[in-house]
Amino acid sequence: MKDITTGQTMKISLSRRVMATSGIAIAAMIMLLMPAVPVLAAAPAETGGIAWWVWVLALFIFSFVLGIVAVLAGVGGGVLFVPIVSSFFPFHLDYVRGAGLLVALAGALSAGPPLMRKGLADLRLGLPMALVGSISSIAGALVGLAMPAQEVQLLLGIVIISIAAIMIKAGRSGYPEVSQPDRMSQMLGISGLYYDEFGKHEVAWKVHRTPVGILLFFVIGFIGGMFGLGAGFANVPVFNLLMGVPLKVAVATSGLVLSINGSAAAWVYLFKGAVLPLIAVPSIGGMMLGSKIGAKLLPKVNARTIRMIVITILALSGFRSLLKGLGI
Amino acid sequence: MTDKKNEGIYADRVQLAYARTLDFVSHAIIVVMAVGYLFYLMQLLPLTVPIETVAGNWHLSSSVLQSKIHNYCGWSCFLSLPVLLHGDALSYASVVFLSMGTMICLATAALVFFSEKNHLFLTITILQVFVLLVAASGIMTRPH
Repeated sequence: MKDITTGQTMKISLSRRVMATSGIAIAAMIMLLMPAVPVLAAAPAETGGIAWWVWVLALFIFSFVLGIVAVLAGVGGGVLFVPIVSSFFPFHLDYVRGAGLLVALAGALSAGPPLMRKGLADLRLGLPMALVGSISSIAGALVGLAMPAQEVQLLLGIVIISIAAIMIKAGRSGYPEVSQPDRMSQMLGISGLYYDEFGKHEVAWKVHRTPVGILLFFVIGFIGGMFGLGAGFANVPVFNLLMGVPLKVAVATSGLVLSINGSAAAWVYLFKGAVLPLIAVPSIGGMMLGSKIGAKLLPKVNARTIRMIVITILALSGFRSLLKGLGI
Repeated sequence: MTDKKNEGIYADRVQLAYARTLDFVSHAIIVVMAVGYLFYLMQLLPLTVPIETVAGNWHLSSSVLQSKIHNYCGWSCFLSLPVLLHGDALSYASVVFLSMGTMICLATAALVFFSEKNHLFLTITILQVFVLLVAASGIMTRPH
């Protein structure tokens, strides 16, 4: 009883500490930006008649909220970031996609270490997929940056609406059955064992349909690179539903794949001048802080309701991207 | 606390080495990014391009913006020490560092695969590092 009380007290003090840190970070960001430019100074029309620091601050707060919501809904930040920011902020799509990729990359990097130590993010499963995915994500980024922004916006709308549909339709399997691992996965030695803390038991896993999985990761990498989306929405179903990877391993390894693919495509955006630190850094900072709060709130909220809200937001922002792409 | 208990038991040497490097790199990235952005926004170092100019043009595509204000791209912030000693160059360099994080972790994994004589995964990891190096070299993005 005493242990439970101590545990709860620790949990509460930890969440308070995270909340306090986030509060300080937001206040610091406001203080950092406020003195830079006079509040009432005339702002250029390119910033929508609003001072630049207001947009940067709004981006930081928006990314922070997005970080919370993304964790609660079980989606990556990039997939929400790009369609919403490109629709409602005055930045060109090039910089939004560049920042989106970096947001997804930073999130995956910071979440990685504990997942790898627990054997949830698996290098032997992730590396072959990331190798093909990173090549196609470079190609995707090159194609995306060479295309007119309006066409990319139109395609982005279609992709985002499709993702929302996939999220509604796709099921999830906690511990899929794999009766016979395929020859390629045996050759690569792809299998593992982890401890399920919820079920309090060890879970051994192996995979099948590896060649098809590799092919699909090539396609996913291209889409992720082209639109600057973290591709967790597609990585997880391929690992889980197609290859038979347990859900927790699929989610964790998806982050590993995403960090490698995102890193490859990010270079294309960097060399094309499509990364503005003024936009990218507050997005990354806000998203990372928000994700930490989201992880703390996860056990206390109805994740299913949040997921439905996110799917609705995703569909709406996809629809808006579509209209913007059509010039409406 | 139970979360921590299982760390290391179900992971092999290469996973642990990768996790250790990633842990260090991800924390270093956060610090470098925060410091770089602080120098940028507070203008503690001179700026190559004023923030107002960047904000006044962020509606333009990257190619148009490049031709107009010569913003940092690729490795340009590391051209020389005087170039790097600008607030915007420093903040940009922190983003470059973020993009290099995975490469550092993969190099660690390659060393462990080499010591374990796991030739198959050593090859895959070296190929992966090669792909990232090609992307980081800018060969793919150079105009033909």
